[in-house]
Amino acid sequence: MSGATVQSATPAQPKSPLRTAAPQSGFAPWKDPSKAPIVRFENVVKRFGDFVAVKDCTLDIYEREFFALLGPSGCGKTTLLRMLAGFEKPTSGRILVAGQDITELAPYERPVNMMFQSYALFPHMTVEQNIGFGLRQDGMPKDQIATRVDEVMALLELGRFGKRKPHQLSGGQQQRVALARAIAKKPRIVLLDEPLGALDKRLRQTAQFELMGIQERTGTTFIIVTHDQEEAMTVSSRIAVMDHGEFVQIATPGDIYEAPNSRYVANFIGDVNLFEGKVVSISGGFAEIDWGPGLARFKSVAPEGCTGDQQVWLALRPEKIHIDLDKPTDTSNTIPGKVVDVGYLGSISHYHVELANGQRVKALRTNSSRTVDRPISWEDKVWLQWPAETGIVLTR
Amino acid sequence: MRRWFVILVPYLWLLVFFLIPFFIVFKISLSDIATAIPPYTPTFSITDIGGFFSQLDFENYTFIFQDSLYIGAYFSALKIAFFSTILTLLIAYPIAYGMARAPREWQPTLVMLVILPFWTSFLIRVYAWIGILKKEGLLNLFLMNLGLISEPLTIMNTNTAVYIGIVYSYLPFMILPLYASLEKINPALLEAAADLGSPPWKSFWQVTFPLSIPGVLAGCFLVFIPATGEFVIPDLLGGSETLMIGKTLWNEFFNNRDWPVSSAVAVVLLLVLVVPIVLFQRNQEKQREAGR
Repeated sequence: MSGATVQSATPAQPKSPLRTAAPQSGFAPWKDPSKAPIVRFENVVKRFGDFVAVKDCTLDIYEREFFALLGPSGCGKTTLLRMLAGFEKPTSGRILVAGQDITELAPYERPVNMMFQSYALFPHMTVEQNIGFGLRQDGMPKDQIATRVDEVMALLELGRFGKRKPHQLSGGQQQRVALARAIAKKPRIVLLDEPLGALDKRLRQTAQFELMGIQERTGTTFIIVTHDQEEAMTVSSRIAVMDHGEFVQIATPGDIYEAPNSRYVANFIGDVNLFEGKVVSISGGFAEIDWGPGLARFKSVAPEGCTGDQQVWLALRPEKIHIDLDKPTDTSNTIPGKVVDVGYLGSISHYHVELANGQRVKALRTNSSRTVDRPISWEDKVWLQWPAETGIVLTR
Repeated sequence: MRRWFVILVPYLWLLVFFLIPFFIVFKISLSDIATAIPPYTPTFSITDIGGFFSQLDFENYTFIFQDSLYIGAYFSALKIAFFSTILTLLIAYPIAYGMARAPREWQPTLVMLVILPFWTSFLIRVYAWIGILKKEGLLNLFLMNLGLISEPLTIMNTNTAVYIGIVYSYLPFMILPLYASLEKINPALLEAAADLGSPPWKSFWQVTFPLSIPGVLAGCFLVFIPATGEFVIPDLLGGSETLMIGKTLWNEFFNNRDWPVSSAVAVVLLLVLVVPIVLFQRNQEKQREAGR
């Protein structure tokens, strides 16, 4: 299946207010048919011997996007990026940048610059020489190089380190030098291969916001490869979730989270509860799902093209489930269970609830008041309930 | 106690096998030639220590520096060692580069092949070159059968033969450190250079070569230092025109039986070589620092 068909298959769900929980910016060139993409992968296939790393990928990326290729290791995301940089040649298909076919161009002829996972800083050069390397290749006059290097170093707050060698810098500083070198030539597209992978968690979070700031200020198109779903969610305008060399879903972080198109995506991004069942009937846009004999049926928004008697999975995010000691008055989508595990994290609490059929469900509750009459605890009989609009019916 | 022992062993080794022999040679270099056994005077005697020291002088050294034969031999040896080192570097670099770029699983085999000649005695390998280079040798037969030359080339007993011998013998000492430093270079660096707009040949001079300099220096010293004092190769392959200090030393010692002068030649040779040795060590030190 190609990426283009995935894009159109993404369920459009404008009616539910919950669908818009994720922040929406006006920036959405992929919805504008008059915009031409800056990068286009056209039926790109890459084989290494018998192994197919990338299977017939078609993808458009637009100017000023911060695009994330997300997936587990070995899913083909790095191969895709390396083909764009020119380090790998596609087995078939074309790659276009700003309408020009660059498939046959050597890496040093392409208008893209890459930030490497290992940073790949030249160990025998100072920070300044590293950052100015690309400019020197273009034969820019020395004084202009110096000006541009100073500019980039100021942007990344590297001013004091210009004369140092890479091995005299900390990991976070090396990461910033690598980014500075990648943006120094003002390329149209900056490629980032797991750029923050080597940083510790705290530093990574600051670096993510720094990356976004730099991307916004330079107005460049960034394409990032990452296996860290939180990172992809934080930084990107759109995410392509990949698995086994294919795009599974291409959408904004909000849509990926709130409207995943498959169990794979729902599982990969965030926590999810999945109930396997069958559609019994569809009425008024809502499907009734039978998920086991003797169990109350679920009601949920029916996806497009959903038919009766179809095997489906109901995906429910833990934070969308209300957990209560008393039986709620609204009895649709209400199931009883027993608390088997509680994780108190301060701001929120996690509950693992065992249902009558033995299935375990994760639910979240924010601890909004300091004192409660009786906190939910182990072995408590509880009721789980959710509105029909919050569940996502998945057909694959 | 045990720490002292660990430190003591190498120093004891150096003392017994380097420092004491050196002082013996140094003492002989201060003596005079004599028709006796041993062929120099004075010999050390406990009873007359004052008389022993009064007979030592630097006469042999002034003699060496006044005779153009010795000075010429030193310079000729340095010259031959210098050009052999450059030739070895030029031949070894592409080989080491090819090895470092070869598929991972081949590399141990390639390193083995470089070391393989060491399984045959050095002397025998130099002798084998006589069979190749002499007038009716393999090389001349081959070239004449191909019709490239009509008259056999005179290579044997010339400086050319000495160069061939030195380059051949010391090639592994150049290849191995070069390979070690080239193999360490992260391939992502070349990708980064290409990504930033540098075509492959430019990347070589901007990235690969500068990063291989420690290997280049190590290899050059490992070839230059022993080549300067080389005796076997100029003796077997070189002719009368070939002047090298190792050969001069041998002649002085075995043909002239002038132990004091040959000892002085050896001491001066050692001093000449101390300079590159110190430079070599400084390079090693720097490499260790940069390699942190």
